[in-house]
Amino acid sequence: MSVLRERVTWVWIGLMVLTCVTTWGLSKNLFGPAVAVVGNFLIAAVKVRYVMLDFMELRQAPLPVRVAFEAWPAVVAAVILGFWFATPAFS
Amino acid sequence: MDGVWVFIGADSVIFAILFLSFMKDRLHNPAMFEASRHTLNMNLGGIDTLILLTSSWSVALAIQALKRDLIDRVPRYLLGGVLTGLMFVVSKSIEYFQKFAHGIMPGTDAFYMWYFTLTGIHLAHVLVGTSLLTFLWIRSRRGAWSSSRRVVPECVASFWHLVDLLWIVLFPLLYLMRAV
Amino acid sequence: MATHAEPGTAAPARGLSPYSTDYTSWKILACMGPLFLALFVGLWGFLGRNMPPFSPNATPEEVKAHFVELRLPLLIGMSVALTITAFYMAWSVAIARVMEHVEGPGGVFSKLEMMGGTITCAPIMTACMAWLTAAHEAHYLDPGVVHMLYWMGWLLFDLAYFVTSLQIAACSIAFMRDKREKKLVPDAVSWWGWVTFASFFVVSAIPFLTTGPLAFNGVISFWVAFFTWFFWIAGLGYFVFKAIDRIKAEDEAAGRLNA
Repeated sequence: MSVLRERVTWVWIGLMVLTCVTTWGLSKNLFGPAVAVVGNFLIAAVKVRYVMLDFMELRQAPLPVRVAFEAWPAVVAAVILGFWFATPAFS
Repeated sequence: MDGVWVFIGADSVIFAILFLSFMKDRLHNPAMFEASRHTLNMNLGGIDTLILLTSSWSVALAIQALKRDLIDRVPRYLLGGVLTGLMFVVSKSIEYFQKFAHGIMPGTDAFYMWYFTLTGIHLAHVLVGTSLLTFLWIRSRRGAWSSSRRVVPECVASFWHLVDLLWIVLFPLLYLMRAV
Repeated sequence: MATHAEPGTAAPARGLSPYSTDYTSWKILACMGPLFLALFVGLWGFLGRNMPPFSPNATPEEVKAHFVELRLPLLIGMSVALTITAFYMAWSVAIARVMEHVEGPGGVFSKLEMMGGTITCAPIMTACMAWLTAAHEAHYLDPGVVHMLYWMGWLLFDLAYFVTSLQIAACSIAFMRDKREKKLVPDAVSWWGWVTFASFFVVSAIPFLTTGPLAFNGVISFWVAFFTWFFWIAGLGYFVFKAIDRIKAEDEAAGRLNA
């Protein structure tokens, strides 16, 4: 088993890169708040999905379980963003 | 063991309810939430994410090795998971002590109450997970697990990945979410 | 009449009495958990205005006003809730007997479960007593005293959780060890028990926080902690009831009269 050839390793690298993008990229003032927040949560949802599919091995789970779990990041991101847009601005 | 998905699913749903409640409270006082958010250490939070991702990766490698009966490699990957788990605990503790030193407590305002509650409950999960991983590591060194005896490691690993994915949402929610 | 276990049978016979097992009474007791749940939610929850509870952040004057204003519903709700709590104890006896058919007679987990289920009644009844007294006497009492009765009830009601935790843990451990191909109680219910067990610990925060999710009316300490327990009562109640018929069939097939 070569660690570098494992799927989980490539997923890990991708997740680490995405983390750097959100923490030290999107969150800088270069980007407007809406772009940053939507971007951060869409990326978070994608990261959660890959942790579920490849670390938790949900790819091999029965379909109903997989659907239920994959729905979680989608719903969570949607609800959070929904609330964010509904929150009034302040000066 | 199929039942463990009930536990993981329930835990995920409970956290989702907490995220929703946090956003609901934030709706009522966005200015205060934003001001308090600025006192959080984004860099430390980001590093915590990197630590937990690495921890999950290490544990995932352990399970891959277990499935292929590479029994001698399993302990080192599990140990990697344990050590990174401990690193997270240390990092969080430092963060908490920094807050306490500045006089910031859970009761200080609604944001901090959520911050300490959410990260605190998550930290409890990290402690439980790290303890379970330690137990797995100890037993793996005696060859307790194999491709035909891997239910317990897989359950613990699944729980650990849950701990990881919860932080993936918690971090942007608390640390990165700018106000409009 | 079987008074000794045949070697290799699933559940050893007791040989204690010549009377055959009273499955009917056993099933009646098994219904008492869900019955407790329905009555308690109706009486304590809705009539008693505890869905969610009145704020822990309220001042003594506000608490007194709450008890004065809601005197009649609270008198009815709290008094009857106190009385019907006994159904929870009766239910725990039915569960223990089913557990013995997994663990064997006299096993530690069935005993722990029965004690846990019975003792759980004590903080519930005592807390209802405190709130009943507050409602009954509020007119005559100093607001500080009413505030004290309110908190006394909640502190006991909530912080005694570990008795129930042990009841739940005993069930989950015993039922997960069932060697039947189709377990009497499915693993999903046992795992939900562990979810409930885990959710109770955060309730220890209630003395320290009067607002937010960990206060006794908060998302975590109230809604999550109580509803995980409510769903556990419903889920376990269903499977325990069904288990009795399965055990009856097993006993009949093995020729056991009193097991």
